[in-house]
Amino acid sequence: MIPSQPSALLPSLFEHVDEGRRLTVLHIGPALAETVTFFSHYRCKLHFIDLFGDLAKLAPAEDATVSLEQTLLDLMQIPDGTRFDLCLFWDLFNFLQRDAIGALAHALAPHLKDTTLAHGFAVHSLKTPQSGKLYGIKELDQISTRPRATPLPGYSPCNQGQLERTLDCFSVTRSVLLPEGRLELLLRASRRS
Amino acid sequence: MIGPSIKIKGEISGDEDLLIQGQVEGTISLKAHQVVVGESGQVSADILAKTIKIDGKVNGDITGTENVVISKLGNVRGNIIAPRVLLEDGAIFKGSIDMDPGDTAAKTAPQAAKEPTAFPSQENKAPRLDLKSG
Repeated sequence: MIPSQPSALLPSLFEHVDEGRRLTVLHIGPALAETVTFFSHYRCKLHFIDLFGDLAKLAPAEDATVSLEQTLLDLMQIPDGTRFDLCLFWDLFNFLQRDAIGALAHALAPHLKDTTLAHGFAVHSLKTPQSGKLYGIKELDQISTRPRATPLPGYSPCNQGQLERTLDCFSVTRSVLLPEGRLELLLRASRRS
Repeated sequence: MIGPSIKIKGEISGDEDLLIQGQVEGTISLKAHQVVVGESGQVSADILAKTIKIDGKVNGDITGTENVVISKLGNVRGNIIAPRVLLEDGAIFKGSIDMDPGDTAAKTAPQAAKEPTAFPSQENKAPRLDLKSG
């Protein structure tokens, strides 16, 4: 039995999905069986990009010869012309320094539509501990939560205000306070200022 | 069958099912048949077949005209195109999956919650903070 937690916001991602239309989905993190099974009911293209495995490369370094944005572009290798309908970030923002979140926004901007929706986790309190979980979609309103084998490096909890200032290609549409001071976020693509 | 000690470089095509337990580099095209990459199989090739099951390691793009299964022992790096794709618990996959279940399966897509509507109208742009128990 895969452990899970209820999600009040996940259904909103799919609320306006036309089942006859092809969905293009960005999933940050490893591909999990239940997520593929969930999307197997949709005409879709899933892009699994596990940035959690490359967090060390995304830590700002003074002697870096390559920009964070270029590092992200190299890691993600999103094909030209790809426009995502849904982005599933899970708790990525809690492991990226603010510069890296800004670079992520730059890297993703060309791949967003005006209607792109996204889901992610932030924190209400910066003292919130690392969740230590892998996330996927078990059901429309259930997020699967598998324990990570080892804690991830570089935990840097991000609150909603910080996220909105740095991830300028999205705006937070709704947030739900979860246990332990965690926040579940629904985001919508916004035009960069 | 390509046995565990066999290494092949080149293009494989034919009119029968294939089990790969050895090493293959190149392309595999068995459009009307099944390809199984066994536990000891190591493939660096694009694979085209009717049904494809991966128990071993594949580095390449996989196109299944019917379905693709990556078993719990499978390790795939590449892009998959198939009407139906099954990833078993424990499988390792890196890349993209392009699925089209067809009209019948698409109609069984999980139903969106009727309420509450979490997505506000365009007019109400102010983020809301909900408190959730538990």
